[in-house]
Amino acid sequence: MSVSATLKYMVNVNIIGKTALGWQRRRAEHSTFSSSKWRTDILSEPLRIGARTKELISLHYLAGRYANGHRPVAWVTSGGPVEILQALGYYVLYPENHGALCGARRAVVDISTEAENAGYSRDICSYARTDIGSVLSGKTPVGKLPKPDLLLACTNICQTVLHWYRVLADHFNVPLILIDTPFVYDEAPDHAIKFVRRQLEDSIPVSEQVAGKTLEYKKLQEVLQLSKDATELWLEIMGRGKQHPAPLSVFDQFIHMAPIVEMRGLKTTVDFYSQLLKELDERISKGIGALKKERKRLLWDNLPIWYRLRYLSEYLAERGIAVVASTYTNAWGELAPLINVDKPLDSMARTYLYPILNKGTKYKLNTMRRMVEDFDLNGVILHSDRSCKPYSIGQVDQRNRLIKEYNIPALLLEADHDDPRAYAEEQVASRLAAFMEMLED
Amino acid sequence: MELPAIPNRIETITAFKQNSGMIAAVLPIHYPRSLFRAFDVLPVEVWGPPGTDVSHGGAHLQPYVCSIVHNALSFLKKGGLDLADFIAVPHTCDSLQGFGSILLDFVKPKQSIFPLYLPRGNRPEDLRFLTEEFRQLYRHLSGLTGKKPSEEILLRCIRREEKADDLLRQLYEKRQKVSLSNYSFYHLVRTREYLPAETFISIAEKVLSRKGFDNPKGTAIILSGIVPEPMEVLTTITELGAAVVADDLACCGRRLYASGKSEQPFRRMAERILNAPPDPTRGNSLEERKQYLLRLADQTDARGVVFYDVKFCEPELFDLPRLRAKLKAAGLPSVQIEIDLNDPLSNQIVTRIGAFLEILG
Amino acid sequence: MEEVKALGIDVGSTTVKLTAVDAQGKLIWHHLEGADPRVEDQVDHFFNLMREHGFDGKELPMVATGYGRNLVEQAEKKVTEITCHATGVYNQLGHGGTLVDIGGQDSKVIIIGENSQVVDFAMNDKCAAGTGRFLENTAGRLRVPLDRMGVEALSAAEEVAISSTCTVFAESEIISMIAHGVEVNPILKGLHRSLILRIVAMIRSVGLVPPLMLSGGVVKNPAIREMITQELGEQVTMPEYPQLMGAYGAALIALKNSNRA
Repeated sequence: MSVSATLKYMVNVNIIGKTALGWQRRRAEHSTFSSSKWRTDILSEPLRIGARTKELISLHYLAGRYANGHRPVAWVTSGGPVEILQALGYYVLYPENHGALCGARRAVVDISTEAENAGYSRDICSYARTDIGSVLSGKTPVGKLPKPDLLLACTNICQTVLHWYRVLADHFNVPLILIDTPFVYDEAPDHAIKFVRRQLEDSIPVSEQVAGKTLEYKKLQEVLQLSKDATELWLEIMGRGKQHPAPLSVFDQFIHMAPIVEMRGLKTTVDFYSQLLKELDERISKGIGALKKERKRLLWDNLPIWYRLRYLSEYLAERGIAVVASTYTNAWGELAPLINVDKPLDSMARTYLYPILNKGTKYKLNTMRRMVEDFDLNGVILHSDRSCKPYSIGQVDQRNRLIKEYNIPALLLEADHDDPRAYAEEQVASRLAAFMEMLED
Repeated sequence: MELPAIPNRIETITAFKQNSGMIAAVLPIHYPRSLFRAFDVLPVEVWGPPGTDVSHGGAHLQPYVCSIVHNALSFLKKGGLDLADFIAVPHTCDSLQGFGSILLDFVKPKQSIFPLYLPRGNRPEDLRFLTEEFRQLYRHLSGLTGKKPSEEILLRCIRREEKADDLLRQLYEKRQKVSLSNYSFYHLVRTREYLPAETFISIAEKVLSRKGFDNPKGTAIILSGIVPEPMEVLTTITELGAAVVADDLACCGRRLYASGKSEQPFRRMAERILNAPPDPTRGNSLEERKQYLLRLADQTDARGVVFYDVKFCEPELFDLPRLRAKLKAAGLPSVQIEIDLNDPLSNQIVTRIGAFLEILG
Repeated sequence: MEEVKALGIDVGSTTVKLTAVDAQGKLIWHHLEGADPRVEDQVDHFFNLMREHGFDGKELPMVATGYGRNLVEQAEKKVTEITCHATGVYNQLGHGGTLVDIGGQDSKVIIIGENSQVVDFAMNDKCAAGTGRFLENTAGRLRVPLDRMGVEALSAAEEVAISSTCTVFAESEIISMIAHGVEVNPILKGLHRSLILRIVAMIRSVGLVPPLMLSGGVVKNPAIREMITQELGEQVTMPEYPQLMGAYGAALIALKNSNRA
């Protein structure tokens, strides 16, 4: 770590960045005019927390920009066990989150083309293509990404990350920690839990060596507690969607989920979600919903279509349809009860074995069944995501079951979470229109 | 020279069942053959198969799932696996995992399903895990068949597979001397996908005992990928004036398992799989794959590599850009070809291979 | 007419081309016509044509290329279009570089070395996205004649982005644009851009080695030439007969082999 890098970090992030971004946020919070580009005739005024979300994300990427040389940097998969790295003071970057941001800012085609030009097939995951394209070209909407000193891939979301991170490890020539999480068809057998636990243990000396620091057990517990607190809050926030009208939509969740993914284990994240929960409860007490007029309620399955969030949100809102529950955002909340601060590694092993994507197709069906009942839903949209096979395989059967059991319409929507070239505008529009007609029947 | 008579899949299955054996249909790539055999279950592999009516698979799977998985499901639904008593699905990739999952949860065929997880590294904990995973499979099979084969039986079965694999390795080493065309060689080695080890051993011994002839002439190349389908591509390669002298195919060369060391059966089975040649689905690094391919080229005087991959196969696709660049820098050029198991060999594929051979000169 | 020394025949999927060269490898005669599914009959007809032009093709060395090359029994040797295009273009233009050949069915990028040898190549993948067929199909929707497409596209001041590279999806995208009142020419321009970006990706995948050369039937379209130049910042050169380069290269290979014998 270098003194000049630390100095630069302190000045640019801690002094200038924090001050400027904080000032920007306060100005937005006190502004009487809505800055939302989304249609406020059909959607409620955006959540006030939005200004804080923007501040946190900007600050996160700003810190990343100046991290190299000042803090150790790790690139981590979205389901990765981040607590050990947080406790060691790593700056943690989530290429998938960066990919989502590129998607939302419509930068994916340009960046992904860089990877495709280097020979990466369009048949591989668009997050991976966007990341590799960004690595090869330096292109990113956030200015600059820090180079990793360490890579951590956890296979609990897919095997794609294994292949993707092997490419990164070869490119950056840095250590890759692999946390291999055997697929759980029913209950995880003992030997699988032990296997993950041992890998977590073994990851500690490598992470310590790269960071040049020893892991403090107490610090790990602290981080885990914060991780658990934030996750529980997130779970509660999503539960507020059960209210009629729902105070937040799934589209709101997509926007405000960044901290629970990439800033888990930090105090600011816990504060952020406490504040969001408070704002939602205020909305509930005043009877304010995410939509001005909520008539029907839907479930969203699979990743968002990042480059069409606003279109889909407004299209549905215009028809009084609120999307109030999603298996995707739920994935970052449902494991909270498994975290046990007194048994850090044991509980981490279980927590990281059990995400929805590491469990069978029936588990996901059951999750959706529960949501349809608990959230009082009228229909389901299943995004069949070309880039995410573990999430998408099984949807055909899941959809048929839901239709049969609940007598509600369910739409399988072919698209891709990040690559607009796999999104057929007209086809989606006509399928949505037909789905609307079925909802009204 | 022609091959000795080899029974086909159906003949093999029928004969095995007549001797009161049972059949397990097994999906790609790695699994312990000896463990099934210890229960008198013959594993018969399902790599697709090519040219299946995919409409059945389409009722459960999206179009961006590869043709191996699509075909396997269609084949199952059409009754192609009716002779099997069990279906084993190794977790080789996201698509096969999804396949196993929908089989268990939705398709629910009459056969019992065994999922199998393969660790993605070769660390001490990977060996420990895989050993336990096989022990679990033993309990599973035991519960279903009522049999409890002893350690001795297990070890005997392992040694028989080891002998078959050793002969397989010899066939690879002497492939040019036993006067087999590209097609015949792969027809022979791919019988390992379904023949009982003892049958394979006797056929391999016959072929290996033949007097050697001249090496077939042609540009020496390595074939990499999943399966050499349609098999006609091998004849085309011969016609284009080339000889496949080594391969890095998932169904063939990536399963040249060496003998294990441990006397503990489950551990020995795990050792054999974990020490197999590099395979992206088992998490080998790009560097390991590069070294392996360069070594193969060095040993066989191969002048180029044909990467022959099934469309949508992420484990293969991720490695190719950097792997090919590394090989090129080391003086080993390559060409990349994409296939679908249900397409006939296209003109474009022939042209690509032909042009690549012309570059090699 | 100078003495014909060797022949090259390119049996493609839509057209068949025959070329004849003299002892110096100069292209002195050629013939092009639509492909007949009965290749043998068509080749016989070609030999008759040659006799009419005063030389006996059956006596001459001949190399066949193209998808139907294996059906030409008279050819002493069959060589892929990749090598033939490289040989043809190298001899015509006198240098190596990057050759982009855009055909109806197939597109290829060939890196030609200093001695006319093929250093590397790439071809479009299974779908039609990177070929002339993509333009044909989608432009058919717009009722623009094939030979006007390029000119019309270039005349557009505006350009709309076509995101789908799948021919079927692109068609539905176009229908929707028309339904929203978008003008034809900006759509045409967007279609060309979409095709060019696929081609550029292929060029980048093998690595551009200047100069950039174009061949194949589609390059008669001026928009293709201009937009490739825009995207890559490289001027393009074209041989005199862009469609004949495969057959010409085949004839040159036949000539070289006969000199060696």
